[in-house]
Amino acid sequence: MAPLALLTRRQYDATIADLMADDSQPSSSFPAENQVAGFNNNTEVHIANPLLVEQFMNAAEGIASRAVAAGVDKLAPCAGTSTAEHAQCGASFVASFGKRAFRRPLTSDEAQAFNTLFAGLNATRGYSAAVELTIQAALQSPQFLYRVDSTRAATPETGAVPLDAYQLASRLSYFLTGSMPDEALFGAADAGALLSSAEIETQARRLLETSRARSMVRDFNQQWLQLEQLSGLARNPPQGLTDVRGIGDDYRESLLRFMDQAFWEHGDLKSLFLSPTTFVNARLGSVLGLAGPETGFAPVSDAPGSVGLLSQPGLMAMLAHSDQSGPVQRGVFVRQRLLCLDVPPPPPGLNPVAPDPAPGLTTRERFRVHTEAVACAGCHKLIDGTGFGFEQYDELGRYRTEEYGLPVDASGEMLGSGETSVDGPFDGVEELSTRLASSSRVERCLATNWYRYAMGRVETEADGCSLRDVEQKFTASGGQFKELLVAVTLSEAFRYRPALSGDM
Amino acid sequence: MNRVRKNPELTRRHFLRAAGGASVALPLLSSLRAGAAAEDFPKRLVLMYTPNGVVPEAWWPRNVTSESSWELNTIHQPLASFKDRLLFLGGVDLKVTDVGPGGLHQKGIGGLFTGQQLQSGDLFVDGCGQRAGWANGISVDQQVAKKIGVGTPITSLELGVRATENDVQGRIAYAGPGAPLPPMNDPSEVFQRLFSGFGQNTDELAELRARRRSVLDTVQAQFKSVSGRVSSADQQKLEAHLTLVRDLENRMAATNNGSTACVAPAVPARLDPNIEDDMPVIAGLHLDMLATAFACDLTRVASFQISTSLNHIRYPWLDSLGEGHALSHMGPSDSNAFRELVARQTWHSQLLANFLTRLSQIPEGSGTVLDNTLVLWGNEVAEGNTHAHENIPFITAGGGWHFRTGRSLQYTSASHNDLLVSVLNALGVEATSFGQADLCRGPLPNLV
Repeated sequence: MAPLALLTRRQYDATIADLMADDSQPSSSFPAENQVAGFNNNTEVHIANPLLVEQFMNAAEGIASRAVAAGVDKLAPCAGTSTAEHAQCGASFVASFGKRAFRRPLTSDEAQAFNTLFAGLNATRGYSAAVELTIQAALQSPQFLYRVDSTRAATPETGAVPLDAYQLASRLSYFLTGSMPDEALFGAADAGALLSSAEIETQARRLLETSRARSMVRDFNQQWLQLEQLSGLARNPPQGLTDVRGIGDDYRESLLRFMDQAFWEHGDLKSLFLSPTTFVNARLGSVLGLAGPETGFAPVSDAPGSVGLLSQPGLMAMLAHSDQSGPVQRGVFVRQRLLCLDVPPPPPGLNPVAPDPAPGLTTRERFRVHTEAVACAGCHKLIDGTGFGFEQYDELGRYRTEEYGLPVDASGEMLGSGETSVDGPFDGVEELSTRLASSSRVERCLATNWYRYAMGRVETEADGCSLRDVEQKFTASGGQFKELLVAVTLSEAFRYRPALSGDM
Repeated sequence: MNRVRKNPELTRRHFLRAAGGASVALPLLSSLRAGAAAEDFPKRLVLMYTPNGVVPEAWWPRNVTSESSWELNTIHQPLASFKDRLLFLGGVDLKVTDVGPGGLHQKGIGGLFTGQQLQSGDLFVDGCGQRAGWANGISVDQQVAKKIGVGTPITSLELGVRATENDVQGRIAYAGPGAPLPPMNDPSEVFQRLFSGFGQNTDELAELRARRRSVLDTVQAQFKSVSGRVSSADQQKLEAHLTLVRDLENRMAATNNGSTACVAPAVPARLDPNIEDDMPVIAGLHLDMLATAFACDLTRVASFQISTSLNHIRYPWLDSLGEGHALSHMGPSDSNAFRELVARQTWHSQLLANFLTRLSQIPEGSGTVLDNTLVLWGNEVAEGNTHAHENIPFITAGGGWHFRTGRSLQYTSASHNDLLVSVLNALGVEATSFGQADLCRGPLPNLV
């Protein structure tokens, strides 16, 4: 399936910035997208609702009004002065603006509909109002709000329909830049030049060098790692700090900078798990006992306990309770986000009631009940064993070797990963990270997550070939992130859509 | 201080600009229809949801000797002055959760106001590996809105306080099967939506409507251009979207010519809906604006949810630093958890009491807006530590035009679908069944 994809808030804002030179981020009033498996661009659940449609109208009115206020001359220049001349200028505005808004040339029916709107408004309300309301209408039209797949004929042998050049341009740009196609992509689409693998690869590599690609990678990382949990993070202030309001935003930025460095500077999966850098600002510096800069963030190398993603203060603080570490959250994270393994469902009919825990137990003792009670053990032995290996990081992401004056026990155990090089007892995050850094299961899982993000949906059986192809190229590249993204753009699923009954 | 506008023509774009003052002003209001005959007063419905169960021994009424002789328990002390407006409904079960996909919290929240099972599928996986989709039907508020929300500027208003879980665990209102409605968590956005247009004069308003009509007509025609080129599933998506655009255009016609003053509250300060310390302010603003929206007849149907099922939220303003769901799992032996849970649930009661107070201060005919409002308050499980779906803590407040209130009733294993039918009937919707039909026996007995 290649379903109709409704723009997310982030895509909407970026598109408006590129289309209208308006960076006011009008989607801040839109309701949040529904999410599946961490991603908010899932086409099955990100669908229209009354509030969203109402806010599309309000946003379109605001955008159009700002655009006209900034100068109709720039938007829709017109030398003529008569109503008829203005209508003429309107038609060329409809054609040029419409093409950029709909990301392809308008069909003649579409051009006619918008020309009729424009001419009517021009006659009754004048040129400027006609421009304004035409923009409003375009920005609420499904051709703008959704990405729509092509009308080309199916190739009978595969039942799959190749996307046309404009659709490929949109797919590439929304995947790699989170926005509408830029001029070069439009140019390539106009020339019909986007249909070969070589041309797609050239464009993909070019887009990966744009600044929008950097925000796209951040968007992916936020969703893959589910960093929305850091919003409003509630933690008791550590000694010496009185105000921790908004500290989740500091942690998020720290973590995203680490991820940026892993993607753009180091570039491969191994460094993601093993790079010893931490990014801190002044407040995080004082929380973590590291020297932070007076303003902004700065990298700190080789801080104690710093070893890759799994030791990042932002991740450890997120995967914790407000007053203690979170072995369960950490175990679930490794299993679900890094290994793409779901927690198996409990046996049918079982209502997992936690026993009444007596207060006054240590973390390990309190959690032991999970793995001893028969009802819980099935799930929790897969989770908690991994999570205990993170005990050297507390709920603020601080590295510790002692808890309550006793040495921290960071022994853990990986179970049921399906990979012998990953399973088995381990001591601490460093050993776990070393295993995960060369795990093919982790490699496949990251490829799967990028694929879901690129396609806006969870994979199905029909994606098997495309996904395997992407995984193989990622592995062959030695775990290079950019190669993974390029491979996605070259996959069959990215370039074709299934045939509809009307195609043949 | 707020200025009062005489005979305003009200639409959702109407806004009486508050002359400064960032405080949460509570302007004196009287219902828009204060002068109307009693039978003309609009009826209103509010669904209220709080998550993760309650502490039964501090929640259910005490010293019950008959349905009309009973005392409020600790948690409901804030509601003391409204005791005769309440109905406690013991022995009502979420039978719809007995079978079907999903985890216990997922099924509970999905079925609570829809009376439906969850759709099968693996969209959402809960912490125990249970899989499910969205609830498989319309929620009772939306069913009511189809009847009484038509003709008001906002068909229904969904409000949330830190309800930021954007999946099945976080949604209570549904427009239809698989079509959840997202709540608004930010009071500034609610304010914008309700009141930002106040103050436009009739000519400006007519022009705005005319412009919108030409724009939206063109937009609607564009759907044809796309729908022939997509799969049938996508055609349904587009059809649903087109219907929403049509509704939007139709709602523009909603005009209420008030005969009395209708005053917008002060513009709320920008708050971060993710910060738990701000929850009390946000909850207060939401409910005050909702009361005003009722008084101005901007909407007649609303839902209000405190967070979502399985949340990890602390209530620091109550000195309650346990995390929501984990706290709810603490058993009776944990006296500190007991104290925190009772404090939280008492605070929820206080919110409802404040809202009822507000409604009771808005005159409407010879009574108040409260006389024409029904609140149904529920939870997705009975008790956090057991996840039981039996004896769900259900209360109604108001609805005195239909229900005999001021009672504590005890049913025996009643289906909550029947309670939802009673709610429909109270709001003038003829029905003997709602949600999953085999769980319906008609309205709950002994309510009317």
